Amino acid sequence: MADAKKPSIEDILASCRAADAGGDAGAESRSASDAAVESPKKSADPKTVGDPKKMSVADMLAAARSEKPAEDVPSQESSAEPPAAKAAAPAGDPRKMSVAEMLAAARGGGSGGASGEKPAKKAPAAGGGKKKSPAAAKSATKASAADAAAPADTSSILAAARAGKRGPVSKAAAKEAGGSVAGGSARSSKSAGKKATGKKAAPPMPERPSFRRSQPVQPAAEGRRGFFLSMAGVLFGSYWATGLTSLVVTHLLWVLGLARFMFPNVLTEPPTVFKVGFPSELGEGQVQTKFKAQFGVWIVESAYEGQMEIYALKTVCTHLGCTPNWLEAEQKFKCPCHGSGFYKDGVNFEGPAPRPLERYAIRVADDGQLEVDKSQTFQEEMGQWSNPACFVLV
Amino acid sequence: MHGHLSQAEFLAGMAAFLGVFYLSLAIMNAIAAAFLWESGRGVTLFRVNVFGLYSLPFTTPILWLLVATYFVALSPLAFSGDPYMMWWVSLPTVVIDTIDYWVNPTVYTVGSLVFFGSLFWMRRFFVKPVVAWSCFNLVLLFMGFSMTNQSFSAIVTKADNVPIVGLMFLLGFFTWLATSRAVANDDRALRGEPPLESVDNEKVLVWPDLVYTELICMVAVLALLLVWGLLLQAPLEEPASSVKTPNPSKAPWYFLGLQEMLVYYDPWMAGVVLPSVILFGLIAIPYLDFNKLGNGYYTISQRKFAYLNFQFGFLVLWVTLIVMGTFLRGPNWNFFHPFETWDTHKVEALSNVDLSQWFWNDLFGVARPKAPEGSGGLKQFLYIAYRESPGIVFIIGYLVLLPPVMAATFMRKFFIKMGFIRFMVLSNLMLMMGLLPLKMILRWSVNLKYFISIPEYFLNL
Repeated sequence: MADAKKPSIEDILASCRAADAGGDAGAESRSASDAAVESPKKSADPKTVGDPKKMSVADMLAAARSEKPAEDVPSQESSAEPPAAKAAAPAGDPRKMSVAEMLAAARGGGSGGASGEKPAKKAPAAGGGKKKSPAAAKSATKASAADAAAPADTSSILAAARAGKRGPVSKAAAKEAGGSVAGGSARSSKSAGKKATGKKAAPPMPERPSFRRSQPVQPAAEGRRGFFLSMAGVLFGSYWATGLTSLVVTHLLWVLGLARFMFPNVLTEPPTVFKVGFPSELGEGQVQTKFKAQFGVWIVESAYEGQMEIYALKTVCTHLGCTPNWLEAEQKFKCPCHGSGFYKDGVNFEGPAPRPLERYAIRVADDGQLEVDKSQTFQEEMGQWSNPACFVLV
Repeated sequence: MHGHLSQAEFLAGMAAFLGVFYLSLAIMNAIAAAFLWESGRGVTLFRVNVFGLYSLPFTTPILWLLVATYFVALSPLAFSGDPYMMWWVSLPTVVIDTIDYWVNPTVYTVGSLVFFGSLFWMRRFFVKPVVAWSCFNLVLLFMGFSMTNQSFSAIVTKADNVPIVGLMFLLGFFTWLATSRAVANDDRALRGEPPLESVDNEKVLVWPDLVYTELICMVAVLALLLVWGLLLQAPLEEPASSVKTPNPSKAPWYFLGLQEMLVYYDPWMAGVVLPSVILFGLIAIPYLDFNKLGNGYYTISQRKFAYLNFQFGFLVLWVTLIVMGTFLRGPNWNFFHPFETWDTHKVEALSNVDLSQWFWNDLFGVARPKAPEGSGGLKQFLYIAYRESPGIVFIIGYLVLLPPVMAATFMRKFFIKMGFIRFMVLSNLMLMMGLLPLKMILRWSVNLKYFISIPEYFLNL
């Protein structure tokens, strides 16, 4: 109640409940008392009174709902009893009224004589003090929120207000309405209010513009054409959809281009399958290092687990990936980075390397040459060196 | 690099450098003597009785003047470039042989630990300016004498390594500076005086004091960089190749400690886990440190635990490994003595065994447990865990059982002050730090490769 600009939830609730309590029949008569209950709150605050532009949403809603049925009531009363109002003004401070009191008054409605009278006096007290200013009328308008056709909750009230466009929805409109009421024509407005409250059906809707007119539901286009049409609608039905579609298509093209990029027309790197000469070229116990620079592979003929084999060792240290060197004098592979050492068969024995060198697939091609396939590796610790694809028996 | 020049040619090439080197040392000592003489900071070492008539004081300015004279005398010998003359400015063969005989990774690391330990215990002796300056002169003299050795000079004067030599001296200087101030503060604290830093806390203006200092430093550093850039060629190597690794292949100098760690541990352990632990351990220090003393001034005796821990981790585990990686690791990452030629074909028997191999094969004389052919993943996993159980038990015991033991014994006070969680974090960080020297020692002594070796899952510890 301290801030009259913003009617508290209690205020709105009070007005709504009052409407409920009054029922349909007493709506008209009760509106006067309700207005009287509410109006002091509004008009008591000088800001609200002095500045009609500061109209809260609730005010506007109230104005919209009531369609000026009750506006004339306070104005009538205020005009009828100006002296009384003046007398009551200093005594009855409307702000001293608690929410409970107001609720009680509202619930009492038209039936309770005492409760109806007390606020009725107060309403003019404020309204009369301002000499029927538009604000007074406005406050009355607001008060009549209780009157409006008794919708149950705020949302439904809003919905009704919007759908019907029955009252002013803007501040300017509300002010205009208030002004007209204050200026007179009480009778006509009252009759209008009666009409509105009595007949709850919404007034005819305004003419819709062509682009808002609902299209007659066409029978769903059946079959393929319908599908394509609906797909076209999904993809290009709006600017948003068109934009999104073009974005997706662009990205798809990018990905396709990237995929093409991964398969160049000319490969400068050595092939993964290559021939390394005839088995007879290798001597027993020989490590052939001539393919290391180009292909990264040592071709070794050596005994492994009791049988002479030719195998291709990958020239990558299993510790951290440096390239070891074959030391002919020491008969071992030695990594320059951390000192890992491997026997001729690739098994690690010194330094930090945790596992043996890996083997590539090797086989005797149709022309009798050895053919290494780097796409396959064989790891000793996985037991893959027993696979006949990774060695050629001599 | 080596062996292309005869010793005579090599010495002739080194003559100019060494001559200038000794001359600079002489000038340096003469300046020190003059400074001490002028400022009156000289200390009387002992008194010399001359014919029983006079008792002349032998002061430090006189000492450094004598040293300067000695260096002046060395300078023409070095300038001569003649092998016979240069013999006087070379290390005796017996010294070189002794060093070559004794220095290996074990001796080097244990020796550096002993060296830093003795520096700590005898810090009151070593921070004396006379002693520190003498050590500095001796190290420089040793370096100068060693430079007539081809292998040594090839490593030390390599463009990559020159800055590291400078860094060693810088590090020595700053360690001395901090230690001497800490010792001074500790002495003052014993006498009940406030630390030097709180006595000498006069406000200094940004302008001109700080800005001028910065400007002078800027100009000096620029001049140094210019001279450096002109004198030493950029150490560019041959174009990179994926199938040819330079031998030896060395990380940047600041990562050589990491590279040395990689010799003892698996890449993910030495390259990922341990560096992360180092970083997080450093970040955790403020949360673990409950000692409120030593804030804003140098001190050792008030923060002995923190000081020793840091110096062990930094000087022993980090700096000495950098020095080792720079100067003592040669082709194939073999260990070379400082006076040894870097021979690519040096054979070093390093047949390492995993703990599980030793446990099953050597201790029990059976083959390591192996899952039968074609068994499922879970069965294989269980077999592998069984095979590696000695290492797993060891590591878990190390990290889980030792902290309570530490809390119950020599770190009792820490446990009480820190509470359970903070103490566990501290003790585990310390144990992780201890893993490196532990593994190094085990590698050298019993050729241990990994505690836990599961190459099937690329998990080795």
